[in-house]
Amino acid sequence: MMFGRYRGTFHHEDGDTLVEAEQNGSLLTYRRRCEGQTFERILVSKTGEIIINPVEPVNLPKDVTDFLQIEFSPMVIEPGVTQTIYLKFPVEIGVFLEAARDIEVLDIFGLGSQKYTLYGTPTNGVIARWYRSEIYTEVPAAGSLREGVMELSIHNASREWVEVSCVVFDSTDMKIYYGDFVAAAATMKIISPTLAETDFIDAPLRPGMVKSVELCVARKIPVIDRGYLMEWGFS
Amino acid sequence: MTFDVTQVLETPIGVGDITVENLLYFVVILVVGVVVARIVSTNVRRALTERLPKNERELLAKLVYYGIILWAFVIALPQLKFDLSGLLVAGGVAGLVIGFASQSVVSNLVSGLFLMFEHPIKIGDNINVADISGSVEDIHVLSTVVKTYDGVYVRIPNETVFTSNITNYVHNAARRFEYQIGIRYEDDADAAIRIAKEVIATHPFALKSPAPSVFVDNLGDNSVNLTAYIWAPARNWWDVRTDLLWKIKQALEENGIEIPFPQRTVWFADGLEVKGRSAGKKE
Repeated sequence: MMFGRYRGTFHHEDGDTLVEAEQNGSLLTYRRRCEGQTFERILVSKTGEIIINPVEPVNLPKDVTDFLQIEFSPMVIEPGVTQTIYLKFPVEIGVFLEAARDIEVLDIFGLGSQKYTLYGTPTNGVIARWYRSEIYTEVPAAGSLREGVMELSIHNASREWVEVSCVVFDSTDMKIYYGDFVAAAATMKIISPTLAETDFIDAPLRPGMVKSVELCVARKIPVIDRGYLMEWGFS
Repeated sequence: MTFDVTQVLETPIGVGDITVENLLYFVVILVVGVVVARIVSTNVRRALTERLPKNERELLAKLVYYGIILWAFVIALPQLKFDLSGLLVAGGVAGLVIGFASQSVVSNLVSGLFLMFEHPIKIGDNINVADISGSVEDIHVLSTVVKTYDGVYVRIPNETVFTSNITNYVHNAARRFEYQIGIRYEDDADAAIRIAKEVIATHPFALKSPAPSVFVDNLGDNSVNLTAYIWAPARNWWDVRTDLLWKIKQALEENGIEIPFPQRTVWFADGLEVKGRSAGKKE
């Protein structure tokens, strides 16, 4: 398992992915190799720690949005019913430098390709990271460097049958936990056939999971956890 | 010889009853005003760094800065024995004169205020206004500063900005661009369309939705012309556009589909006879 806290040197290799910190005299060299791309930085640190954990998947190949859209097979939901399903979501790996009073983002990398989409209209919509997932009724197996598991509780609070085939989140609220696998929990409350509220739950999927450092915390961006209102439908 | 400070301070400067003391007070109040204005506006800017967009933050900081200076000026004016009530009487006449004299300034000011409320452009947007293309560097009360794509500073009066057609290339979340791709008549257009779509699908910022569209647009003189419509995030569309075209061309050529050169078949009514061929052979 690559995720965790490191002080001084470490070395992790998983297939084509290498992450290491190597002592070079009195300096420390952080090196990452992933899918043919290499990133290297010389670190000057006495007491600092390197943290590696999964982060919000909206940074690669370039930071253009905060939104994540997961598409899945259409589901028709009865009015008033609540159903919990499991989806897979893409994972990016964040490397942070932590000192007593500060934390900084050192590196973000990920496996696989990315795809973006427009949720809504070109005038008023938002760009979102797009991901296609199967629907699972139990926690599926997922490679922790590539994918995570999301527990999604969907509640149809409207008075009509609704068809749902996608969910959009504001990733600035995203709470990711890791252990044997990467996990997140979220809710989707359907208000009407075209309107739904989504939000993340700050709780681990399994006892003993560790909470990831969030990018907005490391970047010192104040975030108000208010979820996201899907105004342009969900099918 | 003794130096009497009080006497010096009470010395008239020769303009009305104004003494050196009055002048000093006036200057001190103004200087304090400028210093306070600078400190407050800097703190306003710092406090709102993460909370407001840059242009709104700058506008608020400037309003605070000039507001405090104006306030200090009004407080300092009585030191120059300036009767503010008299200003109201004189203001009518002076306002008329200044109004005519500063017509364009006022026009630019009002246009600037309307621009700030209407929000057609923001700092950092890529725009075209009054035939000038570039990114917005700053929006002042009287003018808008644009940095053209070749790095040239252009100051456009706000009246011109307000009364011109403004094209904001990044106002919407996404925008569409297109390619024209010509293939030979003997090439399989369906295969070319499939290959182009596959290449587009691999690009992260060629948006999944609205879906890209590739189709045979027309039968040209030298080629079958395909058109590709691709949507991309408005702030990244140029990168996508420059990145994808060459990849599509390479993928087509790898699959034996070529982009033809202009060509023309010429028919001669009486056939083409080469004169002097037999004479040349004899030699």
